[in-house]
Amino acid sequence: MKKVKSNQKKYYPTIALTGSGFKGSFLLNWLENDPHFPKVLFLDHKKPKVPLRKTKFFRLDLTETLADVKLYEILKDEAVDTLIHTALPITPPRNVAWAHELLSVGSMYISNAAAEANVRKLILASTADVYGAFPDNPAYLTESHPARAGLKSRFLADKVDAEKQFLRYSQKHPKSIVTILRPATILGPTILSYKTKYLSRLIVPTVLGFDPLIQFIHEDDLLQAFQLVVKNDCPGIFNLASQGVIPLIKAIKLMGKMPLPLSLTALKALVQLLWFMDISPAPATHLEFLKYMCVVATEKAEKELGFKPRYSCKDAVLDFAGAQRLREVRLQEGVNPL
Amino acid sequence: MKPSKHSPSNNILYLKSSQLQKKNDAAELKKEIARLTQRLNRLEKKYSGSKPNIKISTAKRTDPVSTKELLKESNPRFPAKDSLLRYLPFIPDRSILSEEIDPFGRDPHFEKKLKPFFDFLYYRYWRVSTVGLENIPSEGRGLLVSNHSGTLPWDGSMIRIAVTNDHPAARDVRFLVEDFVYYLPFVGTWMYRIGGVRASQENAERLLNNDHLVAVFPEGVKGIGKYYSQRYHLQRFGRGGFIKLAIRTKSPIIPVAVIGAEEIHPLLYKSSLLAKPLGIPYLPVTPTLPLLGPLGLIPYPSKWTIYFGKPIDLSHYDESILDEELEIHKLSEMVRQTIQNMVTEGLKQRRSVWWG
Repeated sequence: MKKVKSNQKKYYPTIALTGSGFKGSFLLNWLENDPHFPKVLFLDHKKPKVPLRKTKFFRLDLTETLADVKLYEILKDEAVDTLIHTALPITPPRNVAWAHELLSVGSMYISNAAAEANVRKLILASTADVYGAFPDNPAYLTESHPARAGLKSRFLADKVDAEKQFLRYSQKHPKSIVTILRPATILGPTILSYKTKYLSRLIVPTVLGFDPLIQFIHEDDLLQAFQLVVKNDCPGIFNLASQGVIPLIKAIKLMGKMPLPLSLTALKALVQLLWFMDISPAPATHLEFLKYMCVVATEKAEKELGFKPRYSCKDAVLDFAGAQRLREVRLQEGVNPL
Repeated sequence: MKPSKHSPSNNILYLKSSQLQKKNDAAELKKEIARLTQRLNRLEKKYSGSKPNIKISTAKRTDPVSTKELLKESNPRFPAKDSLLRYLPFIPDRSILSEEIDPFGRDPHFEKKLKPFFDFLYYRYWRVSTVGLENIPSEGRGLLVSNHSGTLPWDGSMIRIAVTNDHPAARDVRFLVEDFVYYLPFVGTWMYRIGGVRASQENAERLLNNDHLVAVFPEGVKGIGKYYSQRYHLQRFGRGGFIKLAIRTKSPIIPVAVIGAEEIHPLLYKSSLLAKPLGIPYLPVTPTLPLLGPLGLIPYPSKWTIYFGKPIDLSHYDESILDEELEIHKLSEMVRQTIQNMVTEGLKQRRSVWWG
């Protein structure tokens, strides 16, 4: 591992970013405001909400044919050094076929184009959910544990596939640096995902008889991890999570909400029905995460990246719940937030 | 070897004294209140003539939400103003206030609630006595290897209670639990909360590397599923995983023999009926179990003795032995024989199943 010292006069080479989701937006915000990154490219199918000053925007839809050729031309022309791929949605999209095109095939396009254009560093924002929630998971999953979520959920299978594309790329091009980040469930004042939607209900359904330990990461800590990975060269897979674990029901109570335990069969049928009716934010296969643990060990990230989470698990929950509450109060009372 | 008797009377004395303290406190508080009321009356009399010249503004505040209120509202522990939770009978849950849970899912608050029940089982019901607790190190890692018995295994929690209650360092023992338990609703969650950990090499290694005491039952389900006629005959010791574990983490093995746990549910027959839908390996049949329904789950009050043997040090083996399965099997058999000898010795000392 070669560490680059964060020198004030240091300028980093051209960096390209895909995806305008939550992770993409906050990374773009950081790169826009960091003077050490003079050249930033942003690739997505729509313009980002963040106002662009120095960033060059390229319209690129990863689900269309020849997206890889188009991407290759952009990467070659701009001499891109680092490519951050965050265009993997956190929330499962309704259109399963489209999700497969974006996650699995899109990642293949990215890695193929990067190989042709000799991109030095590739960073993939994956998720810790790729391990899957299984009763025989060890209490702390290390990076060497197989990613088995694909056995249960098609959406997560596509994410595992996206990771596989990047790992294959790193095997083919041993000189390149491929980093895969697997953050736990992201919480914080600004994030919106299917998990925050689930947690911000007034009455939160849980599975009767199960209360798994869960893990969170605060969005500030996630940004810190991305900064470390962009600034230093750290190849490999890294789990990211805050210190400590919390049982699901305790987390719900801590937020001032009420857990409602429902029998698994009833809950499964209900969630699947609501999913088909476009009401539930995720299909029933994700209920496994309410039954069994999927807790990751973060020693590797702490040792090799120097990742130090500043929020504990409980702090992350409280920060998220506090922000949620303030937002609700302000909406009710009509207080101008500015 | 003579079993040491416990003196629960010490505990009772302590309780009584604390209650007395409380009574005294209450009496003193009452005196204090009376004194303060008298003083207040005196002061009121003294200043009754002169009226205070302070105006308290009664005008309503016009700003929609004060910062203070906003802050209060932002505290997630209070239900929001329009929240339906305000109309429900609000039950204060103190467990929220307890600190974060142990990294392996043990909930100190939940355990504290159950402690009186486990103490009752330990002191009154099975009258557990211990021999050789000094063999457990006061600090550092250790692997407790024990025989497994009882159809519904209570031995793990009793070893845990024995070391917490009677060891001078009051150490915390984590016991490894068979896989199938964690597939079950309720039982799996409770097992995590009271300190059980799913049996796997990764989990045990992590615990030992954090200098915990770990109790393992290498017999596994075969041990608890022995018929009553086979009692106190130790079964095959798995595949020697615990030996590999001890060598890899350089932890001493402390052999443990539990006497008395075989008689709590004498197993007469193992029924495969209903076992699969319930998610358990077999449905046990004891003289009372299916017959009396849930009452059959009550174990019999046998007298227990737990023997802790001299630590077996394997630190002189290096990691190259891990590939030599025969060598591992030999070591595993050696530990099994040690525990079998301890069990036989313990049975010789015992006069009666119920009185010890």
